[in-house]
Amino acid sequence: MDLARRQRFDRLVGVFHRDMYRYAAWLSRDTSVAEEVSQEALLRAWKSLDSLRDDDAAKQWLLTIVRRENARFFERKRLETVDIDNLTPSQSAMLVEKDDTDVQEIREAIYELDDDYREPLALQVLMGHSTKEIAELMGIKAGAVLTRLHRARIKLKQVVDGMNHEL
Amino acid sequence: MNCKDYKEAVAAEPHAVFDGAEHADACPDCASFRDEMQVLNNKIAAAMAIDVPQLVMPELPEIDADSNVVGLPYRSKQRRVAPVWFGLAATVLIAAFFGIRYMAADVEYPSLGAEILAHLDHEPAALQVSDVAVSERRLAKVVRDEVAALDSEIGLITYARTCVINGKKVPHLVMQGEAGPVTLLLMPDEKILSAVSLEGEGVNGYILPVGDGSIAIIGERGERMQEIEQRVVNSVKWST
Repeated sequence: MDLARRQRFDRLVGVFHRDMYRYAAWLSRDTSVAEEVSQEALLRAWKSLDSLRDDDAAKQWLLTIVRRENARFFERKRLETVDIDNLTPSQSAMLVEKDDTDVQEIREAIYELDDDYREPLALQVLMGHSTKEIAELMGIKAGAVLTRLHRARIKLKQVVDGMNHEL
Repeated sequence: MNCKDYKEAVAAEPHAVFDGAEHADACPDCASFRDEMQVLNNKIAAAMAIDVPQLVMPELPEIDADSNVVGLPYRSKQRRVAPVWFGLAATVLIAAFFGIRYMAADVEYPSLGAEILAHLDHEPAALQVSDVAVSERRLAKVVRDEVAALDSEIGLITYARTCVINGKKVPHLVMQGEAGPVTLLLMPDEKILSAVSLEGEGVNGYILPVGDGSIAIIGERGERMQEIEQRVVNSVKWST
């Protein structure tokens, strides 16, 4: 095996595997799917590593692979829409938060967001992507990204405001 | 920028500086909304940071350097008869191969350390990051009872092969350190008086005197070698 190639791969994966898993988890809303998608994405990244010319672009490149693998997974499995009151163990594992009930409530609210809103939020908040990078990754215009982010936060704000009124 | 536009912009990018952001300086309602959005954003970040399981690397296939080369179209079956020139050429190649091997066996290194470092370059496959232990059968075949006994305290051995160093067959082992693979060469017949420092490209280590023999331990720069050296020396017992 090409040692330099393997070392390069290990270095990139060491830095970005957490991001890959979390992105896969928020795309799929299922920890088991996230693990499977991450594994497939790692394998695909290994096979096409030579196409990555600049390691500074590795994060965007790896997340793009995760996104495609997630799409392939759902094409294969044709999963049903998630019903939050009837989750499988690996779906409800996403919602576990031991220490903070506020965080737990917001996590559930994010979980229930439409894919179109949840994905740009994950890319911006978790991955630190700019609006332009999110637009490139999702294949939509920057204006559409901003609209989705705005709407996502307004929905989440309503949940938080509701929590505050209950207190 | 009016209040509606400002709130849309800040809800999309709560921590960004955008054109018209100064609107909040003169508008307490929008300033309050911005602060709320920034607090909310921190909560969203905390909520999205789910636990990540330990990385399990998939089995990575060998990558063929020529995989991009398009193969020639399949031809109909023909009986292939090797021409006479092919036999002659093959004979010359075989003779050349053994000649080169014979000459290579005679390469002289300026020191034992130089030979050990050169040996690492010749066996790059040994230096893979791995968490899979070499089989006990393989390990027993390489570290034979009449050569040495290994204590299990030595740690995870991921590679084992018999190699020739200074004309003698020695066990070549690889264990995993914190910075990467660590190579061990167990040399029961290579007596040295004091430790010899080894400095290679990106690696360093020592040949340590152990009884009537010595052990070479080489790791990546930055590896905490002292700990590993101690463990290895305590775990290897020569049989003779």
